[in-house]
Amino acid sequence: MGGVAIAGLGMTELGKVYGRSARRLAADAVRRAAADAGLALDELDGLLVSHGMGGSPGIELADTLGLRDLRLLTAMNAFGATAGAMVAHAAMTVASGGASAVACVFADAPLRPKVSAGAAYTGSSRDYLGYGGMMAAQGFRSVNALYALAAQRHMARYGTTSEQLGAIAVSTRRWATMNPLAQLRDPITLADHQASRWVVEPLHLLDCCLVSNGAVAVIVTGADRAADLAQPPVHVLGWGQGHPGDRRERGSAFGLTTGATLSGPAALKMAGITLADVQLCQIYDCYTITTLLTLEDYGFCAKGEGGAFAASGALGPGGALPTNTGGGQLSGYYMWGMTPLSEAVIQARGQAGERQAARNEVILVSGNGGILDHHSTLILSPTGR
Amino acid sequence: MTTIRRDGFTDAFFDHARRGDLAVKRCAECAHWHAPEATGCHRCGSETLTWTPVAGDAVLITWAKVHPRGEGEVQHIAYVELAEGPWLHAALDGVDAPVEGLPLRAAFVRPEEGEPVLVFRPA
Ligand SMILES: [Zn+2]
Repeated sequence: MGGVAIAGLGMTELGKVYGRSARRLAADAVRRAAADAGLALDELDGLLVSHGMGGSPGIELADTLGLRDLRLLTAMNAFGATAGAMVAHAAMTVASGGASAVACVFADAPLRPKVSAGAAYTGSSRDYLGYGGMMAAQGFRSVNALYALAAQRHMARYGTTSEQLGAIAVSTRRWATMNPLAQLRDPITLADHQASRWVVEPLHLLDCCLVSNGAVAVIVTGADRAADLAQPPVHVLGWGQGHPGDRRERGSAFGLTTGATLSGPAALKMAGITLADVQLCQIYDCYTITTLLTLEDYGFCAKGEGGAFAASGALGPGGALPTNTGGGQLSGYYMWGMTPLSEAVIQARGQAGERQAARNEVILVSGNGGILDHHSTLILSPTGR
Repeated sequence: MTTIRRDGFTDAFFDHARRGDLAVKRCAECAHWHAPEATGCHRCGSETLTWTPVAGDAVLITWAKVHPRGEGEVQHIAYVELAEGPWLHAALDGVDAPVEGLPLRAAFVRPEEGEPVLVFRPA
């Protein structure tokens, strides 16, 4: 198989972007990604589509864009692991000759004017029906509750503290202050983190990601072709997925380990590298605990030592393992798996301006979906093999 | 307090609950125990799960506090592990010093209107 690269990146305005449907946003992102690559829209012969909670767009996006004679068209969904899965599917299709230029896009528009971000994601239903309704009455009304239970289990088992989670929020925000695309760019301190309101204890508001409207697309093509296009190629060296199928019953690893233990080694092996070669991490950070668990599971520190690792300053500017250099989902923008992927592309190209990492030769990108149930990993590099 | 009403699919849980019994699901073919929200057996593939009463003995796995926006009370939630193996989404009542493995026992809070709410209290 020949090498494969990401040749284009397209991003719409992100955040409180009103008046455009998710499908329209997706179309805009694909157009921008093609233009970024220096490709005409009709040079695309593949389209992979993914959506957020709203369920749109699907493959009708091809019609919206007026794409004809596509050789690959599919909607994909592995929740927060989808972006990595799309790039892998596109890469395999390109490498096998099934298509030559594949756009992968995510779009979502959960925010509406005058509705809080929390309500936009949890809905406002007051129908407490049946056993599920009883769970809602007990307090299980949001994903926040389940991630809080995960975080608390890690805390109880390993002594992880809220301050250590706060170190992740603070370092991620430090990066965001240097990213013009980030929604939250005011610096925060650990005291700010500790003073932010409880969402579901032990998670403070500043442990939780943003909610954003918008769309992000990338173009995957052959490495040889990418070299002749407008942008520096970002080579896709490896990929993996991990879906442990954890059952919430005796023996469950809930809150302790994730599918990153499967997808990480698979992606590194495919890339022909080891963990020590990774210079930069873009981690799916729906919550601070997600960053911590994922870094542990990849093996950047021992299991249970993620809190101390984060508190050491390793993840922030000047740290040993710059992580979520665009501000992640906590402070940057919440485009599911496209948040870490887009920042990885920007860093690999050397286009991150003030926040550009000095060492960008090997970038690890993670995706996480469900309640730590689904995982994907990509290994990207400005240098091909 | 929000009123819980039956949905036609999990009525048996509330029939048991009104008698003070905790019922969970058990596979009719391989006898594996499942949480009430299970719809099939992941162990053998059977779709036949039978509501079965259990003693209600459990241990605490992990816990959290849901804080209200504005008015309302903090809700204490948890995952608890039944002696039979399944984890249940649970409300905690009277657990002042939560710790992994804390012995718990199922109970029901009976509101004036609607269906009972399952809670777990220190055993
Ligand atoms: Zn069975």
